[in-house]
Amino acid sequence: MDPKTACFPAQESQKPRGWSGARLARRLGLLVALLALPSAALAAANVVTVKGKANGTAKLVNPSWSEAKDPKSHRFTFREPSLTVRPDVRNLTGYLPKELCIVALVIDGKAPAPKVALRMTIAGGRTSPVTLVVAEGQQIQFENLDPFPHKLYDVGAKGFAVVETAASKSRSWTPPGPGKYEIRDQVTPSLRSWIVVESRAVGVGYPDRKGDFAIDLEPGKYKLRGYFNGEPVGAELEAIVAVVPGEQLLKLPLQVGDSVVDAGTGG
Amino acid sequence: MLLSRFWYGILAIALGVSVFILFVAVQMYNRTGKAAMSDSLSSDSSSVDWFLRDDARKRSSALISIALSPEVSAGLAKASGDAKIDDDTKSKVTAALRKLAEDTDIKFDHLWAVDVNGRVVAGGGFDNKELQELGGYASVADALHGWIRDDAWVWKGRILRVVARPVEKEANGEPVGAIIGAKIVDDGFAREVTKRTGAAIAFFADNARVASGAPESFDKSSLDEITRDLKQLDTNKDYQEKGRSEVRVIGDHLGVVYARLPGEAWDLGAGYAVGRVAVSVGSPFDVLNRADKSDQENVPTKLVILGILVVAGIGLLFSYLEYSKPLAAFRKEAERLAKGEIDMLQPSRFRGAYKKIAADLNDGIEKVSVKGGAPRKAADLEQVLGPIPAQPMMSAFSVPGPGSAPVESPSRPSFPRPPVSERGAPRLRNSGVGPAAPDSGEQVRFSDFQMPSINEPSRSAAPISEEAASSKPRAQPPPPPKRSPPAVPTAAPADAPPVAESSFAAALPMDDDGFNEVDDWRRVYEEFVAVKRQCGEPTAPLTFEKFKGTLQRNKDALVARHNCTRVKFTVYVKEGKAALKASPVK
Repeated sequence: MDPKTACFPAQESQKPRGWSGARLARRLGLLVALLALPSAALAAANVVTVKGKANGTAKLVNPSWSEAKDPKSHRFTFREPSLTVRPDVRNLTGYLPKELCIVALVIDGKAPAPKVALRMTIAGGRTSPVTLVVAEGQQIQFENLDPFPHKLYDVGAKGFAVVETAASKSRSWTPPGPGKYEIRDQVTPSLRSWIVVESRAVGVGYPDRKGDFAIDLEPGKYKLRGYFNGEPVGAELEAIVAVVPGEQLLKLPLQVGDSVVDAGTGG
Repeated sequence: MLLSRFWYGILAIALGVSVFILFVAVQMYNRTGKAAMSDSLSSDSSSVDWFLRDDARKRSSALISIALSPEVSAGLAKASGDAKIDDDTKSKVTAALRKLAEDTDIKFDHLWAVDVNGRVVAGGGFDNKELQELGGYASVADALHGWIRDDAWVWKGRILRVVARPVEKEANGEPVGAIIGAKIVDDGFAREVTKRTGAAIAFFADNARVASGAPESFDKSSLDEITRDLKQLDTNKDYQEKGRSEVRVIGDHLGVVYARLPGEAWDLGAGYAVGRVAVSVGSPFDVLNRADKSDQENVPTKLVILGILVVAGIGLLFSYLEYSKPLAAFRKEAERLAKGEIDMLQPSRFRGAYKKIAADLNDGIEKVSVKGGAPRKAADLEQVLGPIPAQPMMSAFSVPGPGSAPVESPSRPSFPRPPVSERGAPRLRNSGVGPAAPDSGEQVRFSDFQMPSINEPSRSAAPISEEAASSKPRAQPPPPPKRSPPAVPTAAPADAPPVAESSFAAALPMDDDGFNEVDDWRRVYEEFVAVKRQCGEPTAPLTFEKFKGTLQRNKDALVARHNCTRVKFTVYVKEGKAALKASPVK
C-alpha cells in the first residue's frame, strides 16, 4: 500500500503564486477596511480611558476589620503584632481595589439607564467590589463563589430580603431608588458591602493597591468622586474628557482621604 | 403512766426531729451538691476557655516555620504582583506548604497560603470546592497587615478554629501574604478537650451540636438534653451579653454552662456547653444507697447502738414500772378474787388506772350482790374501815328486808358491805394502809340493804362524793341531796311488830345527860317502819329486836372506830326506800 502525503495549509501557501492586479486591489481594500473599523468603532462609542491617582488612601480604614480588632467584639482570644512587620503597615486600611469606588458623575441631568447588569461576587468573607455606585435602575447580580451558601440582606429592609444563595449560584437585585444600601451576610459577619444609587453616576473605576485608577468615559465634563464604605470621601474632582486621545491622564490627584475643597479641574 | 407517756412524747418528738433533720439534710445535701456542681461547672468552663486559648497560641506558633519558608514567601510575593496567579507559582507554594504541614507537630485540617490581595494561592479548597480568596475575613486581613491572631469561623454548620500569621519576605517590610491554619471542631477535638480538662463538652453551631466529648462517668444521653436546651440561648441574657450563661439546671440533675466561642463564631451563635451531673439524693433513704464503705465506716456505730439500747431500756423500764408491774399486781389480786380469797379488790394496792378499775369492779360486785347475786362471806371490816374492835359487830346489813337474803346468824354477820356512795361508787377506806377515820364528826349513812359510807368529818348529814372519801380532802364537797323529810309518826303503828325491849333496855343504860338510847332507837324504829310504809315497803319482817341489833352493831363499829360516845340514827328516804343514817356523836 502506498503511503498518503499529508496536505497542510501552510504548505499550500508556500506554493509559488503570481500577483494579479485585481487581487492586489482586493487586498488593499481589505487592509483599508481593517484600519478603518477600529477608528469607526471608537468614533461611534466615544470612549476615553481616563487615568488618575487617588490621594489619602491611607486614611481609609475598613470598618469591619477595625470593629473586629476591638476586644469587646470578642473576635479573637489573642491578637498581637508581628514584630518584623513595619508598624505603619499594621494600620487596617481598606483594600482599595475592592473598597474604593471612584465614580464619574455627570454635571447636569441624569445618567442614562444602564442596560447590562453589574456583577458582584461573594468570596473570602467579602464581596467584590465592596462599595459599588450605580445609576438608578441598575441591576446587580450577586454570585457566590464560596463553597458554602450565603444569606445576603440589606440593613434596614429596603428591599433586599434574606435569601440563601448556594455555592456557585447567584441572585439579582435592583435597588429600588437613590440612596445607600448596606449589604450584610447572616453567614459571614465580616461581610459588609455598600451599594450607592446615584442618579448622576455614569461610570465607576477601582484603583490598585497604590491608588492608581482608570475609568472609561465618553468625552464630556464630569466630576469624579471617591466612595468608601458607601459614603463619598474626599472631594470631587472635575474632569473634562476630550475626544482624543484614547487615554487621558488626570493632572490632579483625586483626594479620597481628607475632606478638602474642590481640588480643581483635572484633564 | 406519766413517765411512759412522757417518754413516748420524747420519742415521738425525737423521731419527728430526726425525720425533719433528715429531710433538711437531704435538701442541704442537694443544695450543696448543686453549689458544688455550679463551682465545678464554672471551673470546667474556665478550663475549656483556657485550653482553647492555649491551643490557639500553640497552633499559631506551629505556623511560624511555614511563614518563614522561603519557597512560600517567594511564591506569595510573586503571586501578589501578578494580576492572575500562574499555575507554576501555585504548584510550588502548594508543594512547599504540603511538606511543611507534614513536618509540624500540630496538625491542621486546612492550611491556606494567601497573597497580599487575599487570594488563595495554595492549600486547596474546602469541602472539595476551590477557594478563591479569604481576604475579607478580619483575621486574614489582620495577618495581611502584620498581625497574628486567631478566629473561629462557621462554614456549612462546622466550626473552624483559625489562626493566621503574616508571611514576610524581608524584615521590617510589608507582608507578602499570610498563612491561615484551620482546625475543624469535631468529636476528636472535643475528646481532646475532655481529656485535657476533664469536662463534658459539646460544641454547637446553628442550634445544633456539632461535636461532643465526655468522660466515661458522664451519661452521654445528657448531651442530647443540652442540644434540646440550645433554643433557650436566644433569650439567655447572660449568654447574649457576657458570652457565658449562668449555671442552668436541665431536668433535676444536669447542670450546664454555655459559652460563646470568640471569633466570627461569636456573632453566629456558635459556642460550647460544659455539663456536669449534680450529685443529689431523692429521699433520706437514698442517702444510704449513695454512701460508700468509708462513709459507713465513719459512722459511730457503737455509739448509735448504745443510744438505741439506752433509749429502749428507759422505755422498757418505764413500761415495766407503769404497766407491767401494776398489771401483775392487779392480776394477782384478781386471781385472789377469782379464788374467793377476797371478796373485793383493794384499790389502795393499785396504782393509776388500776385503782379506779378496782373500785369500779368492787361497785359492780356489790351491785350484783344487791341484785341477788350469790351469797358471799362478809367483807373484811378491817379492809374497809380499818382496825375495829372485835366485838360487837354491827351492820345495817343485818336488817332484813323483803326479798333479801336470809338474815345470817349474828355469829357470822354479812356486814360490812363495801361502802357505796349515793352515786353507787364504793366508799372504801384504806383499811390496812391509811389511818382510821379522822374524828368523831364523821358521819355514817345507812341505807337499807346498802353499804354504809364513811364521809368526811362533818356534822352535816349530807353524803359526800367519792373523791372526798379518799385520803385527799375535797375543797368543796357537793351539797347534800335535799329531800323532804318523811312525816314521822308520833306513835307506833298499829301493825307494828311487837317489840321486845326489856332485856335490851337493861343492856342499854341511860347516859349521863339522860339520853335513853333504847327509847331513841325505838323512836327511830317506829319512824323507820312508818317511812317504809309510806314508801310501800313491807314492814312485817322487821321487828324492833332485829332493828335494834342492826343499830347496835353499827353503833359498836362506829364507836370503836371513831371513839364516839354514841351514834345518832336518822331515818330518811333514799331512792324511794327507807334508809338509816348514822352520825357519830362525841
